[in-house]
Formats: sequence, C-alpha cells, structure tokens
Amino acid sequence: MEDEIFEQRTDLTQLSAAVEQIKATLGKIIVGQQDAIDLLIAGILADGHVLIEGVPGVAKTLMAKLMAKAIDAKYSRIQFTPDLMPSDVLGTSVFNPKTTDFEFKQGPVFGNIILIDEINRAPAKTQSALFEVMEERQITIDGMRYQMDEPFIVLATQNPVEQEGTYRLPEAQLDRFLFKVEIRYPSLEEEINILAQQHQQVTSEQLAHIEPILSRGDIISLRKIVKGLRVEAKVLEFVAKIILETRSNKSLFLGGSPRASLAVVNAAKAFAAMRGRDFVTPDDVAWVPPSVLRHRIMLTPDKEMEGVSPDEIVKQIIQKIEIPR
Amino acid sequence: MASASASTDAVPKKTVILRADTSGTVNVRHFDANALKNYTRDKDFRYEQAKDLSWWETFWQWIWDWLAGLFKFKKVPGNWILTILSILWRIIELIVLVGGVAALIYFLLKAGGVDVRSIFRRDSAAIVPYSESDENINTINFDAEIEKAAAAHNYRLAVRLLYLRCLKQLSDAGAIEWKIDKTNYAYISELKNDTQRSAFSSLTRRFEYIWYGEFAIDARSYNDISLAFNQFNQQGS
Repeated sequence: MEDEIFEQRTDLTQLSAAVEQIKATLGKIIVGQQDAIDLLIAGILADGHVLIEGVPGVAKTLMAKLMAKAIDAKYSRIQFTPDLMPSDVLGTSVFNPKTTDFEFKQGPVFGNIILIDEINRAPAKTQSALFEVMEERQITIDGMRYQMDEPFIVLATQNPVEQEGTYRLPEAQLDRFLFKVEIRYPSLEEEINILAQQHQQVTSEQLAHIEPILSRGDIISLRKIVKGLRVEAKVLEFVAKIILETRSNKSLFLGGSPRASLAVVNAAKAFAAMRGRDFVTPDDVAWVPPSVLRHRIMLTPDKEMEGVSPDEIVKQIIQKIEIPR
Repeated sequence: MASASASTDAVPKKTVILRADTSGTVNVRHFDANALKNYTRDKDFRYEQAKDLSWWETFWQWIWDWLAGLFKFKKVPGNWILTILSILWRIIELIVLVGGVAALIYFLLKAGGVDVRSIFRRDSAAIVPYSESDENINTINFDAEIEKAAAAHNYRLAVRLLYLRCLKQLSDAGAIEWKIDKTNYAYISELKNDTQRSAFSSLTRRFEYIWYGEFAIDARSYNDISLAFNQFNQQGS
C-alpha cells in the first residue's frame, strides 16, 4: 500500500548502487571509519570539498586516495610543504623563446580530483592561492581566466593544529570546505583487523586493483539529482535557526556564515539521496551540522581554555531547537 | 653703625652689630580665647562639607563616610592586647555584616524564584535559548483538528496531526520520552517492543513522505493511512 502512494518521483537507483559500491570498495581496505566514508561520499555528491583531519597514521591519505581512485577523472596530488609557493599550485607564465611570448603552464590544481596532502603545512600565502579556485572553480592569472573542468573536488588532509610544523588555515579557506571529517583512532577490534590485513598484504594488493566506480559524467548527473531534492519550508527554517544561533551563541567568537547554511542544506540533500529519499527530513539535517560547522565556528578564548570542543557547542545548539514536524 | 669706605668707586658696606639678649625672660603669648570662639562660630571657616551638595552627592558622601568608618580600627594606647582584640572584634563585625547582606540577597532572590545556585555554577557551554513553537501537543484537541483538516481536504495536515497524536499517546504511555530535539528516528529507536517499533517505523515513513516529501494524497489514501494510525493507537493503548 505504501509503495502505491509513494511512487518514486526521482530515480535514485544509480546513485544508491554507486554509493553501495563505493562503500563496499573502501570498506575492503579501510577498517571502520564508516561515518568518515559516508561524509566523503556525501561531500562528492553535494559538490563540496572535504577536509580530512587526524593524527598521523590513521589512513587519511589512504582514504582520500581510494576515493580518488573510485572516480574515473583526472587526479592530481599536491604535497603541501612550508616552502610551497602559490605558483607551484596554480601554475605560472613561462617565456617561450620560439614564439617570443609568455605561455601559461598549468599547475597541479588543474584536475578533477585534487588531493592536497598535509594542507596545513603551507603558510597562508600559499593557502590564499586556493581561495578563488575552491569557491569559483576558476583561476585568474595575468588577466586570463581559466575555468576548471567539472567535477572539481578538493580532498585535503591535515594534522591537528597542535602538531609540530602546522599552521591554522585561514577562516576564508576553512569556510570553503563543505565538511571537516575527523578520523579517530580505531577500536581494539578494528586495530586487530588492520594488523591482520597488513600482515597478509591485502591492502597494497587491493589498492592496486581498484577499478573506477563513477565517471566524470556520472558525478555531474548525480549531483544534478541531489541538487533537485525537495526541502520543505519548515526544514529550511530549522537549518536557518541552527546557523543563526551559532552567530549569537555566547561560547562562540565566530558563527556560521550563509555559506554554512547552504552547506548544511546541500549536505542534508546528499544524505537524503544516500538514504533513498528525494526529500530532506530533519533526521538528515540533524546529522550534518557537526561536520559542516566544526571548522567554520570559532570558540571564545575562555571556552577554548576550558577544553570545550566545537562539536559539543553545535550539539547543544541543536538540542535546543525544536524539530519541525 | 655704617661707615664709608676710603675708595670712591667701591660700594659702601654696612656693618650690623647684633646685641646679645641678656634679659633671660621669655614672654609666652596666648591665643585670645574669645577671638578663637568667634572664628569657630564663623561659618566661613567651616570646611567639613562642601556647600550646595545635591541629594545624590549627599547620599554617596554618607556611603563613603560609613565605609570609611567600618574600616577604622581603634588603637588603645599602651595596650597592644586590647588593640588586637579591638581589631579582631571589628573584623568579626564586618564578617557578620557581609554575611547578613548576602543572606538577605539570597532570600530575596529565592523568594523571586531565581535559581541562586545556577548563578555560581560554571556551565561548560553556552546557554542556548529554548526554542519551541507555540503549538503544544498536550493542548491540541486532536480529534476535532484531524476531523476539521480532513473535512477541508487538507489531508497533508490531517496526517501530520495523526502522527503528532500518535507521538503524544506513545509519550503518555511511557514508551517514548517527548523532547523537542528528538527526531523521528530517535523515537523509533527508543521503542523497545519490536512489533511496535516496526509498525511505528512504517507510520513514520508515511508521515515523512507526506509531510516533508510533500507527496499528494487523495481521500482514499488518507483513509488507509488514518486506519493504520488508529489501529496502531488501539494496539498501543
């Protein structure tokens, strides 16, 4: 009876199949970290960039590499170092003696899936080179504008700022990441599984045999579907209330921007699609804010001194806002 | 005496000869008591208080004088034990005074319904204003409202009310704990009875598709859904 009433308005078959396949592929190599994998997939479906943070050795880069491998698109990797210059990322104009003219040599940022490893080891000068390309998907150099090919996804990894030799990323750049995915230490069971896999050399073999699951075209069409998902007016109001509260919260020095509101809605749409629905429910929304806001909001110095985490504040904010129904 | 110098261009010098006082008597002079009295009576010589103070300035003058008096410790000349005792006594007086004022404030706040302990409690996070819609599920006359919505062919609203009534009944029965921040999924997970959870999950799905998904339903579909909700409520009660 239910199926009679709720005929599918949107065909989510390809999306669901792709999501399951990616999860299964990544799950063969990455032990645990289900939430992180879900967020990575949602980030790609929601047309966002993802920042993966964790202490050294928790498979951040491996996860990003696997995700890049699952997509059949131009992949490039940039290792961020303290002496990296903006031109090393974007590209530079080089004089060609044959033509007696300057030619633009594209940097590694020209690609579809850009893996920026250890992003916070480069100073703010280099980070600012990414501002335009991350938001507008274009680069302007020497008065010329270069449009990025679709899809353009930045998957960046970083160590927590407390680690040696790291810089805090500029707020403007952090705001451009849809999610900050935190990779935590595995549990005892997961740790044993990792050891067993490594002992049998399963990881390196499987990594070499990963076949792309989605093409560039697939990603573009899936993103179109996700963008078209329905969000009821009260659910939008729910999102707006959450973000508005971050701006007036006494524990926060910096709240969420309108870009953060859009990010919550887009991410919730991606999760709804992953759950097989063509509309967003408050459940989809409630799951998203910690990952969308934890890198965007800034705690007041006293709260930071007390050791309060942004996730705790976000959780408390959500708890005080009525679920629309 | 002065004597002129022989040189004509030099400045003449004066020689002063002081005579030795050989009288041996000292004349002690006294203030004129009457003159003193006159001076003290004269208003022009009264400097204790500035003239033309406003009532506000007078009030603060009084406060400061009173505070200064509080911390004035008496010294007993020649007896240090009494001096210390006097200081101790003044300290006890001050403690009693501060304690009395604090107790008075405490009782006044308590009488006013203020949670006094919460003022001093260190909250680890922000106090977020409680946000709740004007609608209260405990005060809605569900039967009447559902009937009204169905009669107006507003089946979407009717399904919403059916779902809210279902939540209220589960809450009244103690199967779930109603809280504004709980999502539908949270309520589903809260149900311990497997059959009940499965049935409620199905009803939740229907509500979500109609309310959030804005799926259009006709009278026939509404009747089916309404029946499913009623059956669930009867089984639960």
